[in-house]
Amino acid sequence: MTSRVMQDFNLLLPETVPEALGLLASHKDKATILAGGTDLLVALKFDYAIDNVISLALISGLDELAFDPLLGLTIGAKVTIADIVKSEEVKQHYPALWQSAVIFATPQLRNTATVVGNILRASPAGDCSLALYALGGKVTLESTSGRRDVYLDDFWLSYGVTARQDDELAIAVTVPPPGQGQKSAFRRMTRVTEDLSKINAAVCLQMDGNKCVAARVAMGCVGPTLVRLINVEKSLEGEEITTDLLQAISDTVASDINPIDDIRSSAEYRLKVAGVLVKRVINLALNGGSDQ
Amino acid sequence: MGDLKVVGKRVERVDVRAKVTGGALYAADVQLAGMLYGKIIRCYDYAHARVTSLDLSDAAECKGVIKVLGPKDVTQREYNASVLDMMVSADMRGVLGDIDDQSIFTDHLKHYGDAIAAVIATSEAAAERAAEKIRVTYEELPVYLTAEASKQPDALQFRPEKPGNRAFELPEMAFPGNVYAWGEVEESFSEADFIVEDTFYVSKQKQCQMEPGSYIALYDDQQRLNCWTSTQMPKLVQKKLANLFELPMTRVRINATVIGGGFGARLGMVLEPETCALAMAVPGRPVKLLSPREEDWLTSPSRHPGKYWMKMGFKKDGTPVACDAKFENYKGAYYVDASGTAFTTGAWLGGMYKFDSLRYRGESYYTNQSICGAFRGYGNPQTNFVMEQLVDRGCTQLGIDPIEWRKKWHKTVGDDGWCMGVPYNSCALDECLDRAAEAIGWTEKRAKYQNQTGVKRRGIGVAVMNHTSGAMPMLLEHTVCDVLLHQDATATINLACSDMGQGSHTTLRQVAAEVLDFDYDDVHIATGNTDAAGFDIGAHASRTLYVGGGAVKQACEDVRRQLFDRAALELEEDAANLYMEDKIIHVKGASNKSISVQTLADQGVNNFMNPENGELIGQPGQIQGYASFFPPHNAPPFGATIAEVEVDMETGEVKVLELVNAHDVGKAIHPGVVEGQLDGGAQQGLGMALTEETYFDEKGICLNNSFTDYKMFGPSDMPKMTNILVENPDPTGPFGAKGVGEAGIVPPVGATANAIFNAIGVQILEAPITPEKILKALEEKANVS
Repeated sequence: MTSRVMQDFNLLLPETVPEALGLLASHKDKATILAGGTDLLVALKFDYAIDNVISLALISGLDELAFDPLLGLTIGAKVTIADIVKSEEVKQHYPALWQSAVIFATPQLRNTATVVGNILRASPAGDCSLALYALGGKVTLESTSGRRDVYLDDFWLSYGVTARQDDELAIAVTVPPPGQGQKSAFRRMTRVTEDLSKINAAVCLQMDGNKCVAARVAMGCVGPTLVRLINVEKSLEGEEITTDLLQAISDTVASDINPIDDIRSSAEYRLKVAGVLVKRVINLALNGGSDQ
Repeated sequence: MGDLKVVGKRVERVDVRAKVTGGALYAADVQLAGMLYGKIIRCYDYAHARVTSLDLSDAAECKGVIKVLGPKDVTQREYNASVLDMMVSADMRGVLGDIDDQSIFTDHLKHYGDAIAAVIATSEAAAERAAEKIRVTYEELPVYLTAEASKQPDALQFRPEKPGNRAFELPEMAFPGNVYAWGEVEESFSEADFIVEDTFYVSKQKQCQMEPGSYIALYDDQQRLNCWTSTQMPKLVQKKLANLFELPMTRVRINATVIGGGFGARLGMVLEPETCALAMAVPGRPVKLLSPREEDWLTSPSRHPGKYWMKMGFKKDGTPVACDAKFENYKGAYYVDASGTAFTTGAWLGGMYKFDSLRYRGESYYTNQSICGAFRGYGNPQTNFVMEQLVDRGCTQLGIDPIEWRKKWHKTVGDDGWCMGVPYNSCALDECLDRAAEAIGWTEKRAKYQNQTGVKRRGIGVAVMNHTSGAMPMLLEHTVCDVLLHQDATATINLACSDMGQGSHTTLRQVAAEVLDFDYDDVHIATGNTDAAGFDIGAHASRTLYVGGGAVKQACEDVRRQLFDRAALELEEDAANLYMEDKIIHVKGASNKSISVQTLADQGVNNFMNPENGELIGQPGQIQGYASFFPPHNAPPFGATIAEVEVDMETGEVKVLELVNAHDVGKAIHPGVVEGQLDGGAQQGLGMALTEETYFDEKGICLNNSFTDYKMFGPSDMPKMTNILVENPDPTGPFGAKGVGEAGIVPPVGATANAIFNAIGVQILEAPITPEKILKALEEKANVS
């Protein structure tokens, strides 16, 4: 049960990344990282006791949102959802990410919550996480012993658990540059507009004319982590995308997912609409505005 | 009615500046010297259990703890947090069977979040930390979440005096056969050509007022119990607390703080008893109790959920011959409002259509859910969901236009209202329906939406309602008002009516200014102190403007009468020969003979002798107006909503495209205030129809007692909306006004359900109508056909 009084903790305010890494190395699992704090503050009110909170507030250089046609998109650890919404380059080159950001929670939360924080939350419903998953993103982790990159494909281990080690700081997430014929989109279903997804889907297609060369299709709220729909991807690759193909794919999605009943929806419903959602998100990617 | 100067105008609301700037002082903002903080220990492990051991010792030793209180450390008197028992005569109280079954703390925990003990400490943090140290062991008891479960013969009994866990049924003495009825229902059904019948479920909607419960209590040096609370009913809570703590009323004072939304959640008491019990344990120290949202959710009442069966019989031409209904509600853990809603749910049904015969049964059953009580509409939204869907099923099968049917068969002037024997004395529902239909393009759309194919299908639906302005003659309706005329010819209106955001202090001030013939700024509405204000039953039943306004009007007329009497003496004229304009009283036809209100008011206060002749100058005595007002009627408002929706046949998602609300409001004292009520009502009505429900798991653990997973319509969910105010003055209301506080929530419920029915050809019998239920129903329909 929630409390009105937050647990006591030490607030640590490193001013550089190396300083932050030093603190992480010494505190390990006795510390948690505060960037936007929109999940952490709720957790702290729900009796989540933690000794040390390492805030990124004073570290400069982690708020870079940069697009390079050759290197792709870099999203620093302090880049907020609102920053994504404001970026014309994201909107143009990575529509899936932009679409997942523009519907994210409320303006207040978009101004505070970070994209990297959304990934670290490892929620099976994460909207921006799902878009980045479909877009082939990877997380850059740094510790006193060095840096490593982990693709999102390997990042979420189970509900709320990631590949990040206790002494590592997630510096950024990067997304590969969009290919010539890259089309992407994100779509979700909710109970009301301002809500967590009851089911969501993101797609990134490499198209050559009407033909799909490569596909990444991801879905949320249908398992303990976000999942790739491998069979859907296989059915798309090398094929011309037609209404018939989409209908056939739509009919098979249910066999790729394993949803449960929860407060937001039911397993039965999610199984029924997953195919519809995939069909629509692909249409959205190909047609821009319309998903029908 | 003549030219109105203040009434009917969109004056600035009295509360708007403070609320917009953050200046409004809510109970949570109040700080007193030496304040202590309370924390209640609740059971979040079980919904039904007995406490087998309670160890408070570790908590008592914690830093900052002043006192730890278990069930035996507070008053052992039981109480009923609601107020219905104070709104009926002692005889009727016995007939209705309202009982006191709540206690401050308990060792028989009957719902998730029930209260076991409390800590008082020097800070909120210290109280919370100590509360975590309380050790409790439990014996788990079987959990009954529905009436169907708790009425089973082998179920554990909640109260010995309520066998079968039936907290309430319509009592035989007042309702022969335990039914609210007219005509011979069975006989009438035998004359029907056509019958529709189904069992519906109506949901446990929560008021979701913005302000979570916040309270302060102080047992002071004069041994008076002071309580700061945002209750809707200061005077009844004063009496309730006096009874509970066995104090005379003169030793209990309620400081009614700004209410951050009520909607019924602050009707009667919520955590005032607990807070006062803590304060009584530490005399001389104020104790503050702040509920987190999750706690407020479980301790304040919700709408009554339950199974609602209804059957209607029609002739081929649509003539409604019979209606039979039964509402079995899931009352929750305690008795509060078991009788009231069980009755009114049927009363609204009885007040709507001209069935030859009608019969309604209302029963409340104890369950291990959190309590139900008052919620805007008080049974009316439940009836609207069921009655209006069945009417539309009948109309559809008979091929009759739903608006035409309603215009032909709704009750009107001269017919019995919701209370049999009290006929309607005004009704403009036909005009509401006509104007709403025209505004939304009913006829064209209704035709256009037939035989649709495709993924997105549109539908349009209508619903109507009757409600009330105050609860007479079922319940006491009474407001006392004092008007103090200051020597500068401004006035302070003193009464206990609360403004929970609906704008009543604004509209009451308009009524006062209009009657006194003063400017709006010359009048102040003073409330919030039960030491000063006379009786008022409290804000419920859409009655504050109708009854409170009636009291203000009468008390201000008393001031006017006194002014005219004094002017008559001063001007040596008959009072009947005088008139007032711009605060000057003139003699008709004699432009040079006049006296100002300010002179009369000033002479009354600053009354001196003329040194030359030894006579008093003017009439001595400060003018005060007074009314102890009992309204003559209940001026039912009527209303209609037409909703247009679009349903996604592949996902079951519903988009509400447009809502037109047309309401017979009598007279809009402040059109903006009325529109605000209709807007807000529609938001809650749409929520009840489409998204809002409190969920429990099979062990009775509440799954969504917070906004994370209890979903209301937000700004981006709201449709295009038009409010049409039909002004057909009621002969009994102040300036013809009727109550509009609850009306707005009701018809959007049925209209939305009917629009979905129109779009997809299937009725969804359980509220809220979620995409999950729609897809399932469409699948079942496809399997049948």
